[in-house]
Formats: sequence, C-alpha cells, structure tokens
Amino acid sequence: MGLAACDNALNPTLVRATGCSISGDLKQVTAFVPASKAAALLQCVRQNGRVSMVFSKPTTYRTVQLKGRNAVVRGLAEGDLDVVEAYRRAFTREVGQVGFGAAHVEALLGCADDDIVGISFTPDEAYDQTPGPKAGEPLNAAP
Amino acid sequence: MNLQIDAIRECFEGVIPASAATCSKDGTPNIAYLSQVNFVDNEHVALSYQFFNATRRNIMDNPCVALMVTSPVTMLQYRLRLQYLHTETTGPLFESMKAKLAGIASHVGMSGVFRLLGADVCRVLEIEQLPGEGLLAPPQKRNLLAALRTCTERLAACADLDRLLAQTLDSLREYFGVRYAMILMLDEPGKRLYTVASHGYEASGIGSEIPLGHGVIGVAARERTPIRIGHMSVEYGYTRAIRDNTRDSNLANALETEIPFPGLAMPCSQLAVPILAGPQLLGVLYVESDKDLSFSWDDEDALVSLARQLGMAIHILQSTADCGEEEPAAAVAPLAAAGAPVVVRHYRETDSVFLGDDYLIKGVAGSILWTLLHDYVHRQRTEFTNRELRLDARLRLPDVRDNLEARLILLGKRLVERNAPVRIEKTGRGRFRICVSCPVQLLDTSV
Repeated sequence: MGLAACDNALNPTLVRATGCSISGDLKQVTAFVPASKAAALLQCVRQNGRVSMVFSKPTTYRTVQLKGRNAVVRGLAEGDLDVVEAYRRAFTREVGQVGFGAAHVEALLGCADDDIVGISFTPDEAYDQTPGPKAGEPLNAAP
Repeated sequence: MNLQIDAIRECFEGVIPASAATCSKDGTPNIAYLSQVNFVDNEHVALSYQFFNATRRNIMDNPCVALMVTSPVTMLQYRLRLQYLHTETTGPLFESMKAKLAGIASHVGMSGVFRLLGADVCRVLEIEQLPGEGLLAPPQKRNLLAALRTCTERLAACADLDRLLAQTLDSLREYFGVRYAMILMLDEPGKRLYTVASHGYEASGIGSEIPLGHGVIGVAARERTPIRIGHMSVEYGYTRAIRDNTRDSNLANALETEIPFPGLAMPCSQLAVPILAGPQLLGVLYVESDKDLSFSWDDEDALVSLARQLGMAIHILQSTADCGEEEPAAAVAPLAAAGAPVVVRHYRETDSVFLGDDYLIKGVAGSILWTLLHDYVHRQRTEFTNRELRLDARLRLPDVRDNLEARLILLGKRLVERNAPVRIEKTGRGRFRICVSCPVQLLDTSV
C-alpha cells in the first residue's frame, strides 16, 4: 500500500505504507508510515490534508484507491504497532508466493517503532484500479 | 544529482512495480502503480501510458510526477522527482517499451488488457534514496566489461566473415554465458533477415528468414534499436513471425519447404540487438534463454557494444574482401564427375533452387548457386572470385552494399547441411572454387 499527497504548489510526493487500520465506525482510515521516509509527505498533509491511498494485492493485482481531504498526522495509539506487525506478517505471506523472502520484506518495510506515525483521513472517494476494463471506475457502497 | 539513473536501473526491470504520484490542478493527489518505467538516458525515463486514467489527466495539466521505485536486489527504495515532457507513440523507444510490456502483460496474465498507447518521456529532476539498511547484493556472476574487452579483441583478430561470425557466437557462450544465439543478416530489398550463424540449437536454421517488423528480431531491425523481453510473450515469438511469413507467401514460395527458424519454442527471455555499421543496418544479433529475466540492462549495454564492434568488423572485411593480393590458387581441372546425375531445378521468380526434389535455397544465394553451376556445366569453370560475382549482371545483386560474403557463407553452409553433391571451398581472400561430385543436369523453369 502507498500514500500520496501534494504541497500547495502542486508538487506530489509519495511513500510506501506499512499497515493501516479502519475505525470501528468504518468511517476513518489510518495509514502507518515511517516518518524518516515520509518527511515531505507529512509536510504536505499538514499543509492541506489531502491524501490518496492505494492498496494492491500482489498475487491478484486487485487494486483500490481511496482519497480524502481531512487527513491529519497523529502519533501511535495503543494497538497500532500490533496492526503494523500483523500487516508485515501478512505481506510476507503474500509476497512469499511471488518469490520474496522475509528478509526482503524486512528490508522494505522494517523501521524503528518510534519512527512510525499515523495519517488518519475520511475517504470521500474510492476507485477500482485493478488493471482491466473497470480500471478508474468509482467504487460505490453496496446498497 | 549525486546518484545517476543508470546506477539504479535494476529498479526498472518490473520485478517490483513502481508507483507514481501526480496531482490535479485543484490539488487532488493521485497514486497509481505503473506497469513499466523505462530508462532512456541519465536525464530521462519514460513511463508506460496504457489507459486514459487520472495519472494521465493529471500530467497533461500538471507535469510534476513523483515516482517510487524499489531495487529487487537490495530492496532499497528511491523516490524520483520527474517533469513530464512529451509522449512518443512511434519509434524506437515506443517499440522497445511496447515489446517489454507485451512480456510483462503475458507474465502477469494481462495479455489483451495491457496495451501501450504511448511512452511518456520525463526529465528526472532528483533522485532520493530513502533511508534503510538494504540487503547485500550478491556478487555478479561475471564482469561484463572484462567479457566485452576479451570478445572485442577476439573479433578484431578474425580475418574473414565466416570466422568472425563463429567467433562472435563462441565468445557469447564462453564469456557471457549465452547458450542460445544467432546472427541474422539483412536482405534489404526482400525486407527480411536471414540466419547466417547460430549456436545452441538442435538444427542450425541457417537460411531461415524473419520479415522486418516481425517478432523481437524483426522489430529490432526495423527500428534499429535493441528489443529486450524478460518473460515469454506469444505476441513477439518468432513462431508467429514464421507462421505469418508462410501465410503471406506467394505461389512460388509455397512450392518450397520453409527452412524452420531454429529458436526456442518458448523463450522466457529474448534480446535482439541491431548490427550497425555507422547508420547502416547490417543484421541482428539475437540471444535468448529458457529462464525469465536472463538479460539485464547491463547485458543489453554489453551486447549493443559487441554488436557495434561486429558491425564495424563486417564493414571492414566487406570493403577489403574483393581486393585480395594473394596469388590465385592453382586451378584444379574439373574432374569428370561420375555416377547418377543430380537434377538442379531453378525457379526464376524467386531464384529458388531444388536439388532433385529437395529445396535448398532461394533468393540471392539461390541465384549465386545457379550462376556458378551454369558456368560449371557450360564453361567447365570451377574457380571464381567474389569480385566477378559482384559485377555479374546475371546475379541481379540488390545493392553494392549487399553482403555477398554473407550470402556465400549461407550457401556454403546449406550445401553442407543438405549433404549436397556441390560444395564451396575457399581458396584465398575473395576467391573460392566449387567442387561437384556427380554429374549435374540444369533445369531452368518458371512456376
């Protein structure tokens, strides 16, 4: 999963996320990113709160994008590190099927716990980005 | 910029997808995965444009792009700041990316979904290596620069074209670890390439042909650019090229048995590199492998450099081939060949030559053989020079630049492979004789 933002001069930036959680009321998404790799992105979020987040499953290429306008940077809450750890384990299982080992995932996603920050936003747009005829179509909530 | 793009080219092999962030005019960010990022030069990369999506809309309005790429070797991540410049929809860059995309599409089960609409060329403004430990890169199997140097020296020592072609293939095997390779020469008026040397295959396929623009080899020749595919692609396979070739054949061609192309049935990696002398296309050097991602950017660089050396060497040999100062070899009086005669049939439309019922060769090489045998039968001649052949109006050689030596090598190899009662024997620089071991009956015909 990855997160993009842009500054007020319309310069985009992006970072790979290392897990995300969804609030109990299903209205808010929090992406976890290493601050050391996301300095520019955090600055953009603080400037205008607009983010775009992509989720893709490496074994099926199913891809979804969410957009939000009210993103805020926040510290970790209780249980957030468990979410990050669970994501890394799941990601290791997933990419293990396409030939990458645990050491690869550790090199890609590993960082100090105190480096991780959360970016919380309310998605107000969602799109299917799976390669194919429906790519780019808005995702609508089930009636 | 401290870090150069060519130092992180392994990130662009498509193993770990790149992602791109763009931003609309109203400040809405967008993030999407890209099928392909292509290295253009140390100031530019090209992004594959496949769908008219938000990324595309955004870069038309706002040319700023942020790109995240990851090395599949070290897992280090790099963030590139790009500025979109223009889109190419034809030409070498487009064709090279289109071929690569076909391989990627086939690998990820997206054949028919992924289609390249354009190559979005971007200037690279900044490369930032993200903090992280990274894995230790395993040692390289070989030093490509050292291999290239040795091969170049070996090529320079070759005094004739036959030796040069053989040495190129030997060197590829020995110093680059390439198991399957072939060299094809251009038949310019025929708009096709013919195989003149190969190694690694059960049948040599000498004389087999690929039309310009078909498959990896044909596109590399037409666009005069290397084409490299890291996964099996039916779209660029030469099985299809040959099938199309056969389908398009006219009646005269249909009489023949096409010489089967020697390549692997299911190549997982393919690399075709044009052989050029200055701007002139001479042929294509083609290597392939039964493993995915066998050829890297560095391999491509090495083979392009090697093919350049080969092109220059062919050009030099060609320009000196006819001016040998050696004394002609003592003429050997033709022996009165005994035994049952072989009927040699020549079809004028295509210059196809059959020995008995067996198809041997067509085109310029067929015309050469027919002329030699005509002079053998009617004038009892066995000794010939390249120079007289080049000037012989009967041959209708396509161009003074046409590589007569390559045609003679092709003919000589076909005669040996078909166990023909006629052989070509080199007798000195620019000189040869034909050896005929049974009586010959010539039959000139049209379809």
